[in-house]
Amino acid sequence: MSPMLTIAKREFRSYFDSPLAYVVMCLTFLLLGLAFFMYGGGFWQIDRASLQLLFEYTPVGLSVLVVPVVTMRLIAEEKRSGTLEMLITLPVNDSDVILGKYLGALGLVMALVVATALYPIAMFGWPWNLGVLDTGPVWAGYVGLTLFSAAAVAIGLLVSTLTESQAVAFFITFFVLLILWFAEAAANQVSGGLGDLLTHVCFQSRLEGFTRGLIDTRDVVFFLSVTVVALMVAFRALERRKWS
Amino acid sequence: MTTDVMISASGLTKKFGSVRALDNVSFEVRRGEVVGFLGPNGAGKSTTMRILTCFIAPTAGSAKVAGRDVFEDPLGVRRGVGYLPQRAPLYGDMSVQEYLKFTAEIRGLDDHTFSRRLGKVIEVCGLAQTLGKQISHLSHGYRQRVGLGQALIHDPPILILDEPTSDLDPNEKAEVLRYIDEIGKDRTILLSTHNLAEVEQSCARAIIVSKGRVVADGPLDDIRGKTGHVRYLVTVDEQHGESGHAPPKAIELETALAGLAGARAVNELPTDERAHRFELATDQAGDLRAEIFRLMVAKGWTLLELRRDAQSLDTVFRELTRGEQRLDAGRSAEVDEDDDVDDVDDEPEADSADTEDKE
Repeated sequence: MSPMLTIAKREFRSYFDSPLAYVVMCLTFLLLGLAFFMYGGGFWQIDRASLQLLFEYTPVGLSVLVVPVVTMRLIAEEKRSGTLEMLITLPVNDSDVILGKYLGALGLVMALVVATALYPIAMFGWPWNLGVLDTGPVWAGYVGLTLFSAAAVAIGLLVSTLTESQAVAFFITFFVLLILWFAEAAANQVSGGLGDLLTHVCFQSRLEGFTRGLIDTRDVVFFLSVTVVALMVAFRALERRKWS
Repeated sequence: MTTDVMISASGLTKKFGSVRALDNVSFEVRRGEVVGFLGPNGAGKSTTMRILTCFIAPTAGSAKVAGRDVFEDPLGVRRGVGYLPQRAPLYGDMSVQEYLKFTAEIRGLDDHTFSRRLGKVIEVCGLAQTLGKQISHLSHGYRQRVGLGQALIHDPPILILDEPTSDLDPNEKAEVLRYIDEIGKDRTILLSTHNLAEVEQSCARAIIVSKGRVVADGPLDDIRGKTGHVRYLVTVDEQHGESGHAPPKAIELETALAGLAGARAVNELPTDERAHRFELATDQAGDLRAEIFRLMVAKGWTLLELRRDAQSLDTVFRELTRGEQRLDAGRSAEVDEDDDVDDVDDEPEADSADTEDKE
C-alpha cells in the first residue's frame, strides 16, 4: 500500500477511536431529520415526491458542523503534539501527507453523505413508498454533494495546515464555509465587481443546479478548481516549515 | 572499523528570522560509531538533527546521510535512517502494535518482514508486555521505547536519536541506555543529549555544540584534555617515612608539591586514612608523575597513591560552552542560562524548539 493510502487509512480509522465521529454523525442526522420533516412544515408541506430539501439542508449541515469538526485537527493537532515531525521524517513526500489526510477526512464526510441515501431508500423504496421519485435529480444532487464535500474538506484541510490550534482551525473553517455559502445573499447588498465575485464563488448558488437535476460543467469545474487550489496551497504551507 | 562516512554535515547554517540557530556546523560520523551530540539547551542540536532527517532545510551548507544528499534525495535519506524526535511524539490513539505496523507500512515492509522485525524489536526494546496497550496510556519510559522501536523497525544502518533519555526517571534512563548500547553494536548512532554522564556511558566520541557552532569534536579523552588542565591526586603516609626518614607534615608536602614546575594550585583533600591527600592542578598537558615520584624518593616519603586525571568532561563542557558565550556578546544570553548539565529541567529546550517552529 502506498504511504498516502496508509496515512488515509490511519486518519479514517482514528475518527472512530474517539467519540467525535459518532457525536457528529448522530447530531447531523438528528438535525437533518428535524429540518427535513419539521422545519416550516418540511417535506410534508411541499407535498411532492421530491428530495430537494435534503440537498438544500445537507450542505449547510456539512458546512457549519461536519467539515469544520472533521478537518480541524488534521494537521493542526499533528503540529501541536509534534507527531508531524515523526510522520514527515518517515519516507513520505509532503504531498503524501496532504493527500492522505485529505482522503481520510473526505472518506468520513462521504460516509455521511452516502448514509443520507437512507432518505430516498426508506421513503420511496422500502419500507415506505410515498410516491414515484424522479431519480434524475437525486443522482445529480449526490454528484453535487460529492463535489461540494471535496471542496469543503480541502478548505478545512488548508486552514488546519495554517495553525497549530484545533479551535482556531474550527472557527476559521466554519466562517469561511459560512461566508461561501451565503455569498450570494451578501452579493445582493454590494454592487460592482465585488458583488459579481461573491455571486461566482457562492457555494449555495453553485449547488442549485444539481438540486434541480442539472449538472453544469461550469459548476463541476468550479468545485474541482476550489479543491485543487486549496490542496496545492495546503501543500505549500506544509512545505514552508522547511525554509522558515 | 571501516572508514565509510555515514553522516557528513558541511557548513550547515540555519537562520530562523534574524537568529542564527546553526552557524557553519561541520562534522562526520563513520560507520559503527556511537557519537554523542552535546550542547546546552538551544545550542542547535535538534535543528541539526531535523536537517539531517530532512524535516527542515538548511539556509546554507549541505549534508549527506547514508551517502545521500538531504536536498536531492530526502526520501532516500529517510529510508536509511531511524529517527526518534525529542519526547517521542507518537499517536496516542493507537496501540503499540498498530503504531509499529503503521510505520512499517509507510516504510514499505511486507507482512513477513514486518513480523520478523517486530519480534526483534520487541526483544531489543522490551515491548512484549505493552504491544496491545494504547500509547496514550504508557509511561514516558515506555513511549521512549516505542519510539526506539519505530526507529528500528526497518533495521536501518543509521540511528538519529534526539534526547532519548530526557523526561525519564533514573531507572528508565538506565534501561534506554542499555537498549542503545545493545542497538549500537552494529549501527551508526548519533545521539543528542545534555547529560554528560550518558555520553560517558554510551559514546566513545562526542561533538559539543554551543550557540550553533561546533566547539569540540573528538574522542572523549581528547575533549577532556582540550582545556589543558590536568590534576594529580597524591596520597602520602603521615605516620611512617621510608627507611628512617620522617613522615611529612601537611605543610611540608604542600610546599614541596607547589614547588614543582607547572603547578598551579595545591589543595588538601579529606581522607579517612592516616595519610595526607593532596590535589595538584597544573596548566600544562605534560606529565608530572615521574617528577612527583622522584620527589617522594628524594624526601623518603611513602607514596600511597598517585593518579593523573584529565579534567572531568563535565568541567570541560562548562568551560567550552561558557567561553563561547562570552565571545558571543552580540547575541541574547538568555538561551544559555541553563547550561548546567542536569537533565531534570529540559523545558527551555522544548520552548526554544517551539519558537523555532513558529519562526
